[in-house]
Amino acid sequence: MGYRKLLTKRMDFSASHRYWNPEWSEEKNKEVFGKSASPHGHGHNYALELTVEGEADPETGMIINLYDLKKIMKEVLEDFDHKHLNEDNPHFKTLVPTTENIARVLWDGFKERIPGDERCRLYRVRLYETRDMYVDYWRDED
Amino acid sequence: MEHVTVTKTYRFSAGHRLAIKGLTDEENFRIFDTCSNPGGHGHDYYLEVKAAGGIDPVSGFAVPESALDEAVMPVIEELDYKRLDIEVSYFSGNQPTGENIAEYIWKRLRAGLGKSLVHIRLSETATSYFEFYEEETYPYER
Repeated sequence: MGYRKLLTKRMDFSASHRYWNPEWSEEKNKEVFGKSASPHGHGHNYALELTVEGEADPETGMIINLYDLKKIMKEVLEDFDHKHLNEDNPHFKTLVPTTENIARVLWDGFKERIPGDERCRLYRVRLYETRDMYVDYWRDED
Repeated sequence: MEHVTVTKTYRFSAGHRLAIKGLTDEENFRIFDTCSNPGGHGHDYYLEVKAAGGIDPVSGFAVPESALDEAVMPVIEELDYKRLDIEVSYFSGNQPTGENIAEYIWKRLRAGLGKSLVHIRLSETATSYFEFYEEETYPYER
């Protein structure tokens, strides 16, 4: 039996968004997205849980230094926290800022900063949109 | 390969009594302890439903929340504020234990969500929960 060592750090952020596909009519947008299509957007308190896996460094005892991880997460979340995702975040000019798409964009941001090696690699992004609903996102090749 | 799951929590409150028909109250008490109280008792159940899918490039959803609600709410309606072993026919032949309630919910949800349903967790109290899934459709360790 193998084992798996995981480390998770949580960070909250608040953002507004609007679900809207410009290719569709207003009726179609309202049909698919309901209240989330409301013209000026609405907001959530998101909670991000980033999990990495790996081996603890024999000297420091860490898979990754939590201060470094915190810095990376803050950096990636800069375009998200207290922003209107459709207006202020370049990723969502055309992409609908659903929880799924936000999780994927966040994964890509973390992947750039934590490419992954024997010691530490990305394991999972868990993104809570509300307390009742969350999305898990991960990629095997990463 | 990319993996995306969406998990939403639902709540219902239900009563039940654990007892074997034909046994006396004393005999049932020896097996089921306080759960055999003749007048029944109840719990606030929390049901976490996890479904998997690819992110639709147009809507941005892997599993629309509305699809989850559509499949789950009729089951919640059926169980909420009911005495399970008296008012829900499945539980006249099956003990309304957490295990069996989870299995029943799984079967009902599979009909609506198909193979996209990958995992459910049913919390009966803050200290006990039950999980149900099929190994072949739950290749997720995370």
